[in-house]
Amino acid sequence: MPHLEISDLITVTDPAGGTRLPVGRAAVVRRLVESGDLRGARIVAALPVDPGGVLDPVAVDRLMVGVHTELQRLSEELRIGERLAHVLGPLFTAIRASGHAGPLRLVDVGCGLGYLVRWLAATGALGPDVELVGVDLDAALVDEADRLARDEGLACRFVHGNAFDLPEAATVFVSTGVLHHFRGPALAEFFRAQAASPALAFCHYDIAATRLAPIGAWIFHRARMRHPLGRHDGVVSALRAHDDATLMRAAAVPGIRPLLYEPRGLANPFCTTLRPVLGVRPQLEEPLRLALGRASRRLVGPERLTGTAR
Amino acid sequence: MNPALPLAALGLIDAAFSGFRAFAGRDARIRKARAVARAASRGLAVGAALLLVPVLTALGVLLSVDDQTRTYAALSAGGTAFLLPLTLYAATVALSLTAYFVLPFRASTLAMVMGLGPLTLIRPLVVALACLNALADGGWTALLVGTVAGAAVLCVEPLVHRRWYAALPLPDLLGRARPA
Repeated sequence: MPHLEISDLITVTDPAGGTRLPVGRAAVVRRLVESGDLRGARIVAALPVDPGGVLDPVAVDRLMVGVHTELQRLSEELRIGERLAHVLGPLFTAIRASGHAGPLRLVDVGCGLGYLVRWLAATGALGPDVELVGVDLDAALVDEADRLARDEGLACRFVHGNAFDLPEAATVFVSTGVLHHFRGPALAEFFRAQAASPALAFCHYDIAATRLAPIGAWIFHRARMRHPLGRHDGVVSALRAHDDATLMRAAAVPGIRPLLYEPRGLANPFCTTLRPVLGVRPQLEEPLRLALGRASRRLVGPERLTGTAR
Repeated sequence: MNPALPLAALGLIDAAFSGFRAFAGRDARIRKARAVARAASRGLAVGAALLLVPVLTALGVLLSVDDQTRTYAALSAGGTAFLLPLTLYAATVALSLTAYFVLPFRASTLAMVMGLGPLTLIRPLVVALACLNALADGGWTALLVGTVAGAAVLCVEPLVHRRWYAALPLPDLLGRARPA
C-alpha cells in the first residue's frame, strides 16, 4: 500500500497557476483509510472544515506553518545548513572556475519556510556574489519565509510559484526533503525540467534510504515534534525516501552528469541522514572534484553505484 | 554523603534545558540566541520553584516522624541512590553535547542521532529508574520524595511551554504575534 503524507493531501495547489484548491476532508480521510493509515485518517478527521466539508484553508495554513517551524528544529540540530554548504561551496567554486559569466543564483525548490536560504544568507557561506532565492507552491509558507527573512534583514528573497517558471534563470537548483514527494515518472520529469533550463547544476538532498531511517525518523519526530501531523509525516517521509539507484536512474537525463554524494556503502548511516543527488553539466565534473578535494572520493557516478544500491 | 546539593544542581540544570526544549521549534528565525537564553532562564525559574516541592516534602516527612535521625539517614541513602542513574544520564548527555558542539557536522549528526535525540525520549524512564533505586536503598519515604522530585523535574518543560510558547508563532496568520 502506498505511504501517504498528510501535508501532501491537505494542501493542494494548481501547479500551473499556483492557486489554492479546495480540499474535502472526507476524501482525504477516505484515501488514508484505504491506504491502511488509520492514524493519519484520525489526524485529518480532527481538522476543521466549513459547512460543505472543505478543510478550513486558514487553519490548514496555520498548521503547516507551525509544523514547518517545528521541522526547522530538526534541520538546525542536524546542521543541515553546514551539510549543504559542504557541497554547495565547492560547486559554486567550480562554477566560478569554469568561467561562468553573469550572476550566480541559487534557487531552493520547495523551500518551505526557507531555512536553507535564510541560513546561507545569514552565514554568507556561499559568498556575497550568490543570489539566494526560495520558491514554493505554498503561499502561506512563502509569506512566512519572507517575513522571517525581513525580520532578520537577510539578503535573500522568496517567490510563490513554480521554481521552473522564474523570470531569471537559476544557476543551481537545490532542495532539501523534496525528492520523495515525486513518485514514479514525476521524479525523472523533475530532473528533466532542470536539465532543460539554463541551470548549470542541481543538488537535491533527501533522506538517505536505509533500514534505520524510519526508526530514526520515529525517534526524532517523537522527541522533537509536538503536532501529530509532523510526527506522522516525518516517519512516512523516511518510508518514502528513494534509494540511491532510483535517484541515479531518474537523474540520468540528457545534458546532465548524475552524481551521488555519500551514497549507501560509502557513508555511515548514523552520520548521514540526508545525502544529495547532484547533476552537473559534464564540463563541471572535474572542477567540482577539484574543489571538493579529498571529499571528492565520496562523489560517485552511476558506474560506481552498482553494488551499493539498496 | 548528603545528596541534596548535587541533586538540586542537576535539577536546575535539567530545568534550564527543559526551558530550551519548551521553546525549541516555536521560532524559525536563524539568529535567536537571546530567545534561547530567555527560554532557559524561564525553565530555570520554573524549575527552582517546582524543586521546592520535594524539599518541602522531605522536610514534612522529617517533621512528622518520631525517629528523625533514622529517617534522615534513609532519605540520604535514597537520595544518593536516586542520584546515581541521574548522574550517569547527565554524563551521557554532557558527552553527547560536547561531541555535538565540538565535532564536525557528520560526527555531530552521530552525537544527535545516537545521543541527544533518544536521550530526550528516555528522560521519564531514567526518572522512574532513579525512583526505584531510591526505594531500594531508602525505603518508602525516599520513594515518596524521589517521585515528587521526578514529577517536578518532568513538569518544567510542559509548564514553560504552556505558559510562554504554546500560542506561538504563526505571526502573519495569528495577527503578527512576535516570539517572546
